[in-house]
Amino acid sequence: MREFHPLIKRWLDGELSADQLGAELAAELAEARALLAAVDRSPVAFDPKLDQRVMAAVRNRPATRWGRAVRWIGEAHELRLRVRPWAVAALAAAATLVLMFAPARQSRAPVAVAQAPESVYVKFMLYAPGAHQVSVAGTFNGWDAHATPLAPAGASGVWAATLSLPAGQHLYSFVVDGRRWVADPTAPGVDDGFGRRNSILAVTPRGARVS
Amino acid sequence: MDRLGARAAASDGDVVRAVLAGDAERYAELVSRYRDRYARYAARMLGSPDAAEDAVQDAFIRAYDQLAQCRDPENFAGWFFLILRNRCFAERRRSKREAVADVSQDDLPGPGRADRDAEQSETQELLARGVSELTAEQREVFVLKHVEGKSYEEIAKVTGATVASLKMRMHRAYDRLRNYLKERT
Repeated sequence: MREFHPLIKRWLDGELSADQLGAELAAELAEARALLAAVDRSPVAFDPKLDQRVMAAVRNRPATRWGRAVRWIGEAHELRLRVRPWAVAALAAAATLVLMFAPARQSRAPVAVAQAPESVYVKFMLYAPGAHQVSVAGTFNGWDAHATPLAPAGASGVWAATLSLPAGQHLYSFVVDGRRWVADPTAPGVDDGFGRRNSILAVTPRGARVS
Repeated sequence: MDRLGARAAASDGDVVRAVLAGDAERYAELVSRYRDRYARYAARMLGSPDAAEDAVQDAFIRAYDQLAQCRDPENFAGWFFLILRNRCFAERRRSKREAVADVSQDDLPGPGRADRDAEQSETQELLARGVSELTAEQREVFVLKHVEGKSYEEIAKVTGATVASLKMRMHRAYDRLRNYLKERT
């Protein structure tokens, strides 16, 4: 970048007169003069109705701060939320729990329904927006990360799969995009011995529970 | 003195206190008094008279909403300037996020342009584009000093920056503008 000589900058600032500058700065001075000559100082005129518009807005505003606060609450406002997908997964896990507990109350959505005396349908759900692939792996499928894929529920970000599981205790974990193992954050878990935690699910003929 | 005369002579502090006491209509006096004072500043900061008009209108409405927070009603003008300034900076940030500002010739302020020498007008428009590419801080100090004709001390007073930092911004602005003009002429 070509910089003005410090003395030229002081001339531009109005601190020096042109005759205080040496002849060697004449060319730069001409540039500086051209720059200042090009500054547009012409006035800017606003629409005469600006005053009316302001006053119309002012008249519509509640007189007190409390009144304005009440009005603000009633108005639509843009809210920007930054969502961290893996933190939000907890919400989906909570939804999973609700669904799994539902059969125990019998009258509500029977997500886990007795299929045979010793097996129950269990619906696994995970909220994973942005994921390309989600599956569940556990003791019931030999920890195969590809055996039990979950299906996306439209564009909601929720992935779900219903499995028939035998009564007993099962360990499981979700697998996102084939490589990220995600424990159910609201379910009890146990250390798998490799630095991860697996979630625990108990299946009885009456339904499924995390335990 | 009649009522109109009394109003014409009322200080900013008197008007602010009247508005706060419930006479909202008197706010029109402040709008009328200051609507044009900062028009040029806002237009040069935002690169367009239309954007400036929106900003000034919005600033007046915000000022009304926050009038009780004006600690020195006699200096309503200075307090209003800070609101307008914040609005201009916010608008700059917003438009920067959405797109690089395209300051078209139609947007550039300049009543009476047709009467000017064509070459001078071209240089003026070129400089306006160069000014629009400065940082908001550099642009502000350039506008306040060379468009509004304020001294560094006056600018420091209204912006809260030190004279030294204002000079630093300005001197960088000079260099950037010099290069901008050099590259395009």
